[in-house]
Amino acid sequence: MSRQAPPRPRRYTLPLGRGDAGRLLPWVLAMMAYVAALAAGGLIAAHTTWRDSRTALSTAMTLEVPAAASPARMQTLMAVLHHTAGIASVHVLDQAATARLLAPWLGPSVPLDGLPVPHLIDLRTDPGRSPDLAGLRRELASVVPEARLADHRGLAEGMQGASATVEIVLAAALAAGLTLIAAVAAFAVRAGLAADRGGLALLHLLGADDRAIAKQIARRWLLLGGAGGVIGAGAAFLTVLALRPAGAIGRLPAPAGTGIVGWPLWVVLAAVAAATGLIALLSAQATVRRRLARLP
Amino acid sequence: MVRLENIAKWYDAAPVLADVSLTLDPGGFYFVTGASGAGKSTLLNIACLAERPSRGRMRLFGADPATLDRSRRAALRRRIGIVFQDARLFDDLSARDNVALPLRIAGTPPREVRDNVADLLAWVGLTKRADLPAGNLSAGERQRIAIARAIVGRPDLLVADEPTGHADDEVAWLLVHAFESVNRLGTTVLIATHDIGFASRFDHPRFHLGAGMLSEAAAEEEA
Repeated sequence: MSRQAPPRPRRYTLPLGRGDAGRLLPWVLAMMAYVAALAAGGLIAAHTTWRDSRTALSTAMTLEVPAAASPARMQTLMAVLHHTAGIASVHVLDQAATARLLAPWLGPSVPLDGLPVPHLIDLRTDPGRSPDLAGLRRELASVVPEARLADHRGLAEGMQGASATVEIVLAAALAAGLTLIAAVAAFAVRAGLAADRGGLALLHLLGADDRAIAKQIARRWLLLGGAGGVIGAGAAFLTVLALRPAGAIGRLPAPAGTGIVGWPLWVVLAAVAAATGLIALLSAQATVRRRLARLP
Repeated sequence: MVRLENIAKWYDAAPVLADVSLTLDPGGFYFVTGASGAGKSTLLNIACLAERPSRGRMRLFGADPATLDRSRRAALRRRIGIVFQDARLFDDLSARDNVALPLRIAGTPPREVRDNVADLLAWVGLTKRADLPAGNLSAGERQRIAIARAIVGRPDLLVADEPTGHADDEVAWLLVHAFESVNRLGTTVLIATHDIGFASRFDHPRFHLGAGMLSEAAAEEEA
């Protein structure tokens, strides 16, 4: 028999993975990806919120001056504040701004004219140079003894501990989600390949190349995993959109409120979808290589 | 073509082949006979690289498969046609696609695949059943498809494990004559059968497998 040199293998589709195995996988992975995407989005939102809030609180102070303080004393107070080292800006809240602050307690329709509403002065400190608060308090008391300086830095420090706890919980949820994706993908791949065991061995005997078999199986599971990831990430995105009008996200401080629905969310969702597909791909590759290695 | 030297095979310490040496010349036609469980299938599996021997040396098409990487061993397998006792088809593939599979795996151009497969289907008399799923075919039809799949790539070596096991006497004769046709094109043929009487009706060398050892059947019968 005359034999020509074997032709270079072409791309062909092997009859593998044609059964029901893997049909439910995208939906199972979608649920895991949904949890992971929400955890990842929540982690970013919480981190951004806490960071920006801490920054804002650690540089903010409020000076509350009784309504009875005379304009002359107010002027003296302002001069003291402007000349204090470490204070970057001084802003007296006008009546409208004060009314907005008090609205949650007094209601929007209560006129402030007849009430002894204190003057509120918003102070921003220089982040790199903290003022001498004890000295400032003494000076302020010498001008208006009833003036009260509220320092929010203690609150910011308290928030730091709380934020760390929340971030750890969300990171654990994210890690659990990704671990579950890997476990479910590995289990499903093994079950799927078990169904293909006879076909795999037959193709091996007919001379199919290991790489061609592994590549085709890996491609299939990448698509299944990727589909699950996209479905889960899409559902997470819809959840975020649904929560915004209800205020769950909208009530967060502005930096987080804008940040979570901006590009970080897209990046997180795309990363979770890609990670889900990649995990399924790697699980399939590892499983099929182990199985092929057992064949002679 | 095929050379087995002192091959032994055991499963979980249970010996199946003790010390088997066998040489198949290019273009030869051979029978291996033996009782059920004598190790015929194991011997054929080793010859077609479906199993590794536990001990011994082997050369196939001039190469030692044990020293080749997996890709080269796959290339050797593509030069072997195998007919299993139970056909082993992909039931959800059509008869035509089952026959075409070895050619597609080998990277044969589509036009050549189509023509060769059509010829083979006509040769085994299944042209009209070609587009049915293999799972819908009868046992006899499945076996003919398996034979067509084994020879469609014009293999250098054809091994058949009890191909006449489910066939009546007339069909068994036709099957062997079909293998002889393939053999005349240059393919070395090795057939395993438990039916010593049937194999002895043909003028081909026969080896007998018993107690894990191989002997030349003719000499044994004369003795």
